Amino acid sequence: MEPRATKKKLSLKERYVAMTRGLAWNTTYQPMEKVFPFDRYEGIRIHDWDLWEDPFRLTMDTYWKYQGEKDKKLYAVIDAFAQNNGHLGISDGRYVNAIKLFIQGVTPVEYGAHRGFAHVGRQFVGAGPRVACQMQAVDELRHFQTETHAMSHYNRHFHGMHAPGQWFDNVWYLSVPKSFFEDAFTSGPFEFLTAISFSFEYVLTNLLFVPFMSGAAYNGDMATVTFGFSAQSDESRHMTLGIECIKFMLEQDPGNVPIVQRWIDKWFWRGYRLLTLVAMMQDYMLPRKVISWKEAWEMYAEANGGALFKDLARYGIREPRGWKDACEGKEHISHQAWALFYQYTHAAAFHTWLPTNDEMQWLAEKYPNTFDRYYRGRFEHWGNVKRAQGRWFNQYLPMLCQVCQVPMIFTEPGDPTQICFRETTYSGMAYHFCSDHCKEIFENEPRKYVQAWLPVHQIYEGACYPDDINPASPGDSPVREVLRFYGVQAGLDNGDYETSEDRRNMDRWKGKVATVEGAE
Amino acid sequence: MNQPPPGQLASVSAYPLRQADGQKRYHGNQLVYLHWENHLMYSAPFCVPLPPTLPFGALVREVLPELYGEHSEFESIDWQRTQWFKSEQRFRPDFGKSLEHHGLGHKCLIRFRTPALEGIRRQVRPGIQAY
Repeated sequence: MEPRATKKKLSLKERYVAMTRGLAWNTTYQPMEKVFPFDRYEGIRIHDWDLWEDPFRLTMDTYWKYQGEKDKKLYAVIDAFAQNNGHLGISDGRYVNAIKLFIQGVTPVEYGAHRGFAHVGRQFVGAGPRVACQMQAVDELRHFQTETHAMSHYNRHFHGMHAPGQWFDNVWYLSVPKSFFEDAFTSGPFEFLTAISFSFEYVLTNLLFVPFMSGAAYNGDMATVTFGFSAQSDESRHMTLGIECIKFMLEQDPGNVPIVQRWIDKWFWRGYRLLTLVAMMQDYMLPRKVISWKEAWEMYAEANGGALFKDLARYGIREPRGWKDACEGKEHISHQAWALFYQYTHAAAFHTWLPTNDEMQWLAEKYPNTFDRYYRGRFEHWGNVKRAQGRWFNQYLPMLCQVCQVPMIFTEPGDPTQICFRETTYSGMAYHFCSDHCKEIFENEPRKYVQAWLPVHQIYEGACYPDDINPASPGDSPVREVLRFYGVQAGLDNGDYETSEDRRNMDRWKGKVATVEGAE
Repeated sequence: MNQPPPGQLASVSAYPLRQADGQKRYHGNQLVYLHWENHLMYSAPFCVPLPPTLPFGALVREVLPELYGEHSEFESIDWQRTQWFKSEQRFRPDFGKSLEHHGLGHKCLIRFRTPALEGIRRQVRPGIQAY
């Protein structure tokens, strides 16, 4: 047989170059700096974009193929989960509240990431990172969609999942992730990558995904687990983009180092504060526990992150300034956050409950230094109050940190009995912060944070009432009307799990006789 | 282009000052933050709108019982011995005079400490603190 004349196939590397740099050109009708106006202003100097290396060398054609295959598998599992009434297989109805927190607080953030990457995927001069960012923009949009689909089955059976978009734009605790992402995608493209690709995806993402996805696996939620698997290969690509981006900036010019360091300080802390919601979910909302937040922090932040910052030391990068305070916080933040949501659950869009005796025992074992000493007393007290006078709700609005927008629940480093207050004045007005690090973020760019849309202040301004309401008139209940404005159904989407319709339904579906068992 | 000094924002064009939360937006009130030291059953300090002309005595007699009245130690507070702080700064309030008069302006933080009533600092049993 005669050898067939074959067209020489491009190697993987050649194909990558052809599909990225090969598609880019230097503009001639307009100067490059006008076409790429965001490329320079942050102060980052890039001398040679061709030194950008993408170890995945993924091109668009391969990308579509991979993602298409993954989607087919994912949707097969989602369909099977729905057809088999998968929600009846979960450990306990309380678990669904972790999924509510996910669809309310994490899924919209995927969309925020999509917006950010779509923006920077246009703005870099270098074609390599531009293509990588464009693919990540598509990934993030896909995650938003697949999460929504994976969890849509629960929305048919449980409250608190029907209007996550509206809630994300308005509700007080969701302003934490919302403002985080708005801060990121109103930054320049280099800061955005440092914020999201490096500080969030590379340093902290395991602390977001592992608790939710292992939590789903432990609690029988196969739809969410399958989404997790489907997103995992994307996440590793995103993490690689993060570390490559940091190293590239640091190698290009020594003047970039202090700028990048300041961004790492800022975004590590912002990400850490955002993860407070995950810490709480992990320790309090999973009926079958995986590992504690403290253990997860030690494994993923202290061990992995410690090694990372040792590696980056050769570029002159040190660990983020808030590192030590974050490590101290591993003993506290989940308890402080659950205490907050326990008392404000009537103003949230998910249920809370008191930890059972067994759960408090688990918490005491996992937190031998802090749980019994500082936190158990509060939960036991609320249990006593509930038996004597009924479930306690805090009726007055909390003070918020100007930067992270979390209510001021965090305590002074070294003294968990004292709330940490920091304060500054800018342009004649007082500003308050939960920590030295949020204060420092403000002071570096005060004009950015004086604009903050703080939900508590907005309620008092009157910006969170339906149009037909006069909050000053005696007949209108401000809290009820604010919830109506939020689109939260008071008493159905929120309140204590024990007395919820979710619980009654779940008991009925599982053939249990509803009992009012003490959660304490 | 170099990194802007702290306090300045890097931006492609002039960045306007858009300060939210100005006092005039609160319908004649100002925002006041209140915190009862050591009482962490209330997981965060409160934010409330109050008239600047509110006498300090009315804050104690009318506002604080609304916010903290459910706490078992609240009834026992000896207001004569209570220590008051404007942020970090200790001050002695005149119950007949207004917030304004005390220099307690918009977005001020008022903290108070009640000696002998220690909330979280008190032990309910060995190793377990109160609320």
